[in-house]
Amino acid sequence: MTTNSFTRRCVLTAAFAITMGWGAMPAPARADDVTLNVWSHEADEDAKVALREQAARDLEKAHPGLTVKITWYEKNPLLAALKTALPAGQGPDVFYVEPDWTEYVTAGYLAPLDDLVNWKTIQPWARQVWVHDGKTYGLPQEAYTNEIYYNKDLLKKLGVELPANAQFTQSQFLDLVKKAKAAGMTPIAQGVGDRPFPGAYIVGEALLRKLGKDDYRKLFTGKLSFTDPRVAEVFTWTKELVDAGAYPKNFMTLKLGESHYYFYSKPGALMLPMGSWYTGRAFVPEEKGGQPKDFPLGVMQFPAMDGGACNQCKTSAIGASFAINAASKQKQLAAEFLNAMSTPAMGKRWIETVYLQSAVDVDVKNFSGPYAAYFTELMERQKGTDYFIGGPRDMVQGQCKDSFAQVMNAAFPGGLLSVDDTLKQMNAACYKGS
Amino acid sequence: MLRLARLRARPEPDARRAAPATLALFLAPALVLYAGFMVYPVLRTFYNSVHTIRPQGVQEFVGLANFRELLSTDLVFWKAVGNTAIFAVIATTADVLGGLLIALCLFSRPPFAKLLRVVWFTPVLMSYVVVGVIWVWIYDYDWGLANSVLRWLGLGAWEQSWLGDPRTALGSVMVTHIWKWLGFNMIIFLAALSALPSEVLGAAELDNCGWFAKLVYIVIPMLRPTIVNLTVLSFIGKMMIFDLVWIMTGGGPLWSTETVSTYVYKRAFDWNTFDLGYPSAIAVLWFFIIMIFVVLMTRVFRQRDKLEF
Repeated sequence: MTTNSFTRRCVLTAAFAITMGWGAMPAPARADDVTLNVWSHEADEDAKVALREQAARDLEKAHPGLTVKITWYEKNPLLAALKTALPAGQGPDVFYVEPDWTEYVTAGYLAPLDDLVNWKTIQPWARQVWVHDGKTYGLPQEAYTNEIYYNKDLLKKLGVELPANAQFTQSQFLDLVKKAKAAGMTPIAQGVGDRPFPGAYIVGEALLRKLGKDDYRKLFTGKLSFTDPRVAEVFTWTKELVDAGAYPKNFMTLKLGESHYYFYSKPGALMLPMGSWYTGRAFVPEEKGGQPKDFPLGVMQFPAMDGGACNQCKTSAIGASFAINAASKQKQLAAEFLNAMSTPAMGKRWIETVYLQSAVDVDVKNFSGPYAAYFTELMERQKGTDYFIGGPRDMVQGQCKDSFAQVMNAAFPGGLLSVDDTLKQMNAACYKGS
Repeated sequence: MLRLARLRARPEPDARRAAPATLALFLAPALVLYAGFMVYPVLRTFYNSVHTIRPQGVQEFVGLANFRELLSTDLVFWKAVGNTAIFAVIATTADVLGGLLIALCLFSRPPFAKLLRVVWFTPVLMSYVVVGVIWVWIYDYDWGLANSVLRWLGLGAWEQSWLGDPRTALGSVMVTHIWKWLGFNMIIFLAALSALPSEVLGAAELDNCGWFAKLVYIVIPMLRPTIVNLTVLSFIGKMMIFDLVWIMTGGGPLWSTETVSTYVYKRAFDWNTFDLGYPSAIAVLWFFIIMIFVVLMTRVFRQRDKLEF
């Protein structure tokens, strides 16, 4: 065979292959065949997956020809995908967001939802979290408060009684930690192996109570110095807890899910400070790693600080939320999907299956089911509370955010830094001057 | 006449040489993929490094401002550079020397040599994710194997939060990395040892050359090209280490395991910004640093005298 004839054959083969390939391509979509692309986090939470998939199927039924395709991610891969897809104009129509992801708002990637979504079913305070410059950019779905969960049996074993208002003073709390440690218990099950925030629950809530809402916000927005004496007092008290052995030895590598298991199963711990979304992961069947059915779960307040400006304060925040891509050509359909997820029925289903507060306005007094007692206690802990909306990570950015994760969340409660070094590092990263 | 006719005849086509069109046809897919997934991203990174990338595709030319900030004020970057350098030097040395030692042991055909070869090589086949998760468990303070063994040996005072203490975290990650790659170097060295000319080794034995002299004066000089190649490749790999660190420590505690690659990722995706300019500047600077080191290493290790057989 000569070279030329070989070339001819190759070209003909390629041409044939291209022609066949063209023929094999799918026919153009019918005009009424529309796909709404949704990217969601929380692939590992069955109840949330089921709820969002249900909303998708409901919307498909209402719009024949519509396919709602939900792609499930874990958080970090979702962030990486969004940060490359959105600038490239390849983002989904709807995607999962959290209130501290403010860069999506400032970058203009989120469509204002004020006139698109039915806000009547959403609690006004929850909506407020997503308001920037007078416009609302996210539909909140998950609401939570920061609580200290505890093992009622272990507390009884220590001979300690919870005060009537469920709030220890800071010295009582320190004594409790020391007592637990002396009794061979791990006082606080907490780990920062895979999250940039759990280690800062105790010190963060203590700062909120000591400083009050305004100064607390100033601290994390760079307008109040970390060298403020009140801040130093809180860190000194927290350091006493750390030195008393409040946290487990594997604090630095213990992952979030593992810390839950550590608390309610092996080896067991007295307390677990956590967002109330804890139950979304804990109230699953035991064989799936959930909390034992008969676990004596209690809820207490974070301790009151001496001379605290707002000891009745508590962090309430929004977690899972959804936004519409500003570049989406199907904003109306996307908004209908958001509405489908936030009907009162869906809100009720959220509480009954995810076991967590919802941003949807639902009357929780009517709650029933195996965890009714837990919800009653949780609601009891909300009485007289003055909420601060949003956690520290919602307020910090850039270097300050990184230092928050490395210093306040990990190194300081991990016992690696002194109070002075911690304050110096946080101040250098966060304080911009008054 | 016959000779003349042969000279006048058209040269016969060489069946092994294809026409340019054929070459182009077969090369095009690979070239397109290479250009799309290698050349363009590299060029784009260079371009981004001198820009601030604003949202919605707005790019502002900033010249060398990103590099100036990087070199003058970014303390975490320098911490990451230090960690990466320590990692690259120590882990490369341990990898290559360890691989060579194991290969020499196995080459002397000890009992269970084949089994040991499989055992040492198995970690190479595992992904970084699996290796990272396994070793995080091994290093766990309460129930990890490392501390359990220490307690069992009566050395409980030495137990550590291996990944949670800045003094031990980087070393612990390095041990994991060496464990994963030792088997690869071992296999390459075994192949090179098997390819050594037996007459040279035989002649040395006839000359009553001891094993140590044979190793130092014959085996290692003849393995020199393999050693150089493995050293350079291993060094480049470690200068770009990302996956294992990300899985095991995420760069913590207190940036003690932060590498340049994890820092680039953090600046690109964890900093509440869409600006890829600054992380691109880090990547570009690091690209040149690696290039310089590779050139230097190649020169330092270059063999000047040819071996004579």
